[in-house]
Amino acid sequence: MADDKDVLRDVWFGRIPTCFALYQDEVTEKEAEPFYLLLPRVSYLTLVTDKVKKHFLKAVKPEDVEEMWFEYEGTPLKWHYPIGVLFDLHASNTALPWSITVHFKNFPERDLLHCLSNSVIEAHFMSCIKEADALKHKSQVINDMQKKDHKQLWMGLQNDKFDQFWAMNRKLMEYPTEEGGFRYIPFRIYQTMSDRPFIQKLFRPVSPEGHTHTLGDLLKEMYPAAIAHDGDSRKFQVLIQGIEPLLETPLQWLSEHLSHPDNFLHVCVLPVPTD
Amino acid sequence: METWRCHVRAELVQRDGSQRDPYAGVFRSLSELQEQFEVRQQIWEDVQSPSLDQDGITFVDLHLWLRESEHLNKKLSQTVSDLTSVLYFKEAELHYWQSQVSRYRQEALSLARGSNTMKATLNQQEFTLERQAKELSALQKEHTRLRKGMVEAWKEKGELLQRWMEEKKEEAARVNKYNDAQERWRRLARRLKKQLRGEAVKSSEVTEVNMTNGGKEAISKLE
Repeated sequence: MADDKDVLRDVWFGRIPTCFALYQDEVTEKEAEPFYLLLPRVSYLTLVTDKVKKHFLKAVKPEDVEEMWFEYEGTPLKWHYPIGVLFDLHASNTALPWSITVHFKNFPERDLLHCLSNSVIEAHFMSCIKEADALKHKSQVINDMQKKDHKQLWMGLQNDKFDQFWAMNRKLMEYPTEEGGFRYIPFRIYQTMSDRPFIQKLFRPVSPEGHTHTLGDLLKEMYPAAIAHDGDSRKFQVLIQGIEPLLETPLQWLSEHLSHPDNFLHVCVLPVPTD
Repeated sequence: METWRCHVRAELVQRDGSQRDPYAGVFRSLSELQEQFEVRQQIWEDVQSPSLDQDGITFVDLHLWLRESEHLNKKLSQTVSDLTSVLYFKEAELHYWQSQVSRYRQEALSLARGSNTMKATLNQQEFTLERQAKELSALQKEHTRLRKGMVEAWKEKGELLQRWMEEKKEEAARVNKYNDAQERWRRLARRLKKQLRGEAVKSSEVTEVNMTNGGKEAISKLE
């Protein structure tokens, strides 16, 4: 676990260099310089872009300002997905920094949820954590925590405080030794080539015979096309936290160490780039 | 360390090496410069009074330095506060891990005790198993011996039965032979009896005739 704690820290402190540019048609007052920011992979767009908003509001007429939203190459970016997931899904094979376009008008109601304050992000974050614990521990651990403990999880994420967050989150990563793992693994598999937002089903970390399930076992069950068969060339890459773990990596270990702060293991399946 | 674990750690280092590290320094400097610019701009907007030259240092410069120092102090206080809370959480984590160490030590001790008990039980069971294996071997040998004896007894019984049958056959033959002889003697006896009877009848007839003749003679004599 001492070595594995380095993994937890690497996951928490992962960053994506991003260049925010105001949508050309919305520049009215004065030309807005692009704004550069290192975005935390594990956070949410609307939580870490206050400075972006402040910077670009100078270049927009106050009466034209509505809710800020972001898009990448024409695709509205869902703020309720972790930043790392958005990058891995849409821009992992493109050059850095990641170029995001900022909008203050024409909010895409059909594609994005509104996010008018940090309390909305907090509510979504806590909802995900509770859903994950329902899968892992039948909600016993999260329900045994006090409100201040829940607040500590949120504040740790909001203020980018690793120790503050993990002081509480470690309880959500424990399990009875005799069980061998969580009850079910909280995961979501995202695909770019499908209308379905993500795949989420019940999946145990250990088989009824006592074998440890791996990432390969999960994909074989949930998305068999993602795995290359003998002789065939690899068609898809499987990204978790921006890396490609080996298919024999135990799923329980991945859930404990590569999950996002919402306690979900977000898995992105992308076509292998042809160039 | 397992291959998959090494792979994940290496991949994370590589990821940060390509995505975060090349840009961290530049972005941080840019952010600091932007912040400094905003502070100076704010100060400049606040201070709009004419300056007094004193040894080449203007009042505006002094005010600027003062405000910047205040701003830096504020940032340092925040850093100190953050480090204090980090220290607090580290201490809490230390206590937690110490309690975990203590708990796992207790668990290890009880598991070791359990293991010793199980080893002793295992030795005992092995001894019992060995003894029972020997008993089983002896019983199997006895069973084999008894089976052999039973087979021999069955064989003997068969032979005895066979002999008894043969003897009975011979006896039956003897009895038949005797009966045949008896029958033949009886037939002979019957024939002889018949013959004798016949002879007797004949002699009695002759006697009767003779008697009749004798009587008549006697009578005649008497007469």
